[in-house]
Amino acid sequence: MDYRENDDETAFRLRVREWLGKNAPKDWRAHTKTEADHGALLRRWQRTLFEGGFVGLSWPVEYGGHGLTATYEAILNDELGRADTPRISFHAYLGRAIFTYGTEEQKRRFLPPMLNGDIQWCQGFSEPGAGSDLAGLRTHAELKGDRWVINGQKLWTSGAQHADWCVALVRTDKDAAKHKGISCLLTSAKAPGITIRPIKISDGAPETCEMFFDDVEVPADQMIGRPGEGWRIAMTVLAFERGPADVGLIATFQTALRRIEGIAAERGLMNDPESRKAIARIYVIGEALRLNVMEQLSQRVAGKPPGPDGSVARLLLTRAEQAIRSLELEISGAAAFTDADDTSFTSYLRSRTISIFGGTSEIQKNILANQVLGMPR
Amino acid sequence: MRAIFTEEQEMLRSTASRIADSVAVTTPADLVRLDRNKAWAALADAGLLGMRTRDEDGTPLASGVEVMLVAQSLSGALAPTPFVGAVLAADLLARAGAPEAWITDITEARARYAILLAPELDRLADAGALKGAICIDADGATHGLAFGADRRVARIDLAGMAALDGVDMTRPLGAMSAGAAAEPVGEPLSDADLTQWTSLALTLACADIVGVLGEGLRRVVEYSKTRIQYGVPIGSFQAVQHMCAEMLVETQAAASVTNYAAWAVDALDPEAGLLAARGAKAYCAPVAQKVGEMLMQAYGGIGQTWEHEAHMRTRRAMFDRKIFGDEAHQLLAIAELRMGRN
Repeated sequence: MDYRENDDETAFRLRVREWLGKNAPKDWRAHTKTEADHGALLRRWQRTLFEGGFVGLSWPVEYGGHGLTATYEAILNDELGRADTPRISFHAYLGRAIFTYGTEEQKRRFLPPMLNGDIQWCQGFSEPGAGSDLAGLRTHAELKGDRWVINGQKLWTSGAQHADWCVALVRTDKDAAKHKGISCLLTSAKAPGITIRPIKISDGAPETCEMFFDDVEVPADQMIGRPGEGWRIAMTVLAFERGPADVGLIATFQTALRRIEGIAAERGLMNDPESRKAIARIYVIGEALRLNVMEQLSQRVAGKPPGPDGSVARLLLTRAEQAIRSLELEISGAAAFTDADDTSFTSYLRSRTISIFGGTSEIQKNILANQVLGMPR
Repeated sequence: MRAIFTEEQEMLRSTASRIADSVAVTTPADLVRLDRNKAWAALADAGLLGMRTRDEDGTPLASGVEVMLVAQSLSGALAPTPFVGAVLAADLLARAGAPEAWITDITEARARYAILLAPELDRLADAGALKGAICIDADGATHGLAFGADRRVARIDLAGMAALDGVDMTRPLGAMSAGAAAEPVGEPLSDADLTQWTSLALTLACADIVGVLGEGLRRVVEYSKTRIQYGVPIGSFQAVQHMCAEMLVETQAAASVTNYAAWAVDALDPEAGLLAARGAKAYCAPVAQKVGEMLMQAYGGIGQTWEHEAHMRTRRAMFDRKIFGDEAHQLLAIAELRMGRN
């Protein structure tokens, strides 16, 4: 057991830090007033990172990656959070579906442009009638000649308005059992018959979308895995989505904590024992998350793929993020409610979404109870 | 970076679990039945009491990680053995430069040393004010250790100590009265030694909590699969499942912070090790109460009865919560370490 970085890892961290000092976008929030600006910025930033050699670190070299361990991804995420850069590769975990279940041809076709940022992806999983009950999805695809024809509606497809392609779960066998009749198709998000409408979330940002499919044609060679294998593919993807090291939220937590300490100092709360305890408590909650994730990461490096126990870290992440945003609101005082420039209330609202997306906290607990503790269904 | 146990550490864990099983307690009646001297001899024979003695270079024979693993196994079995106290005493004596013979007396089970805490239980007792000091892990203890104003460890003969029924039935306490004589031991402790010892003490209190609750969760989950209500196992109800899932999250997070603190005791500089240990205790202390309560709730009626182990687990974890300082104590100390004095 050793929590220290080895010499190679430390050298890599220093290299990332130096590179970010020169290349990270400055004042990017001020320059991205519209959603379109933001989408364009993310695309440029991913390309810059790719050219710097920092995208797909743990992906195999033949698909555009660097063949390093997951530890390097974590170091990179840590430094990106520390430098407060825009958050990219929001959907890189979708690549795991293609990597794990795709044919050699599909991998060579889709993975390199996913990593270099040429193709942005979105995740077409949830539907109006299939939220927590994902396997109840009804969007269906019918094979006509050498094409699948998709009809239906997807919901909560985050980033669809900026996406080029979509990983869609569709029902291809209506007679099969619920989990067995689902398949996974890759479709252009700009194909004829697709309509995308942004949905504003509670903080006012058009963070997510609904997506309509009317006779959308998809070539048969864009199916990942075999017909009926969609549920297994979805579970692989979700296991990666649930890993906080992949989504890179931990470093931003530490940055946020330092910011809150700054606000507390400005407001003269640093001598108040209750505020001191509250801030220390958030630090401790963040440490529990960080250390649990380090263990998971070490297990992954040792060869154990992410599984249902990833829901532990996901719940810790949810708790940490929601607790720190509540604290920020508390420490900010009345200004949070009256000052238009104060972002603590929108951050607070945004943090409420974390216990919903990627599987609600209640679904995470079901997973732990059934799949980790082996409790009967 | 490799934040997982080595093969040797996993092997130690299974050895410790086997020994723990042989001294396990599952009901108050076991406390009367179990031959505690035999149990203690089993720990000594396995070399577990000598884990924090030093080699020729002054390095502990086992790191904080190994000691933590053993403490967890023993507490998981609710073993009524004063392991943590004995290991902490041996470590403190070694740091103070006590006579070698005292330490071998501990490791070979000829004498039992225990730790004396201030009446508030949040720190080592002051050797100059022993009245009301509490001896933890007092079972069979012959000598107690306290800390003097001159930064020297003090040894106290416990012949006159009064037995005390604390809430934790598995680890008896003792109460000191006035007049006990304190004998200075070795040299004054350096800041580094005192800090590292405090980190080890906090870590082992956490390890005890993690062991008690982790094994408690495993057992209540098994129970939920066999207890039938409404014609089905109660473990099939979502309300029970979510309680157990919540306990899993809390015990795993508690284990993560404790693992790190245990590693940090010897591997990081003393101040960083102390921050890790205080962070671990600040996390584990409220978990002790929360999960202790949830265990009793998940068992239902049977979990409220005297003969059941649930309250024994809650008692032990909640006593661990207090020793060397509860979460309020740790959080204020963490604030000071991170943000300076107020």
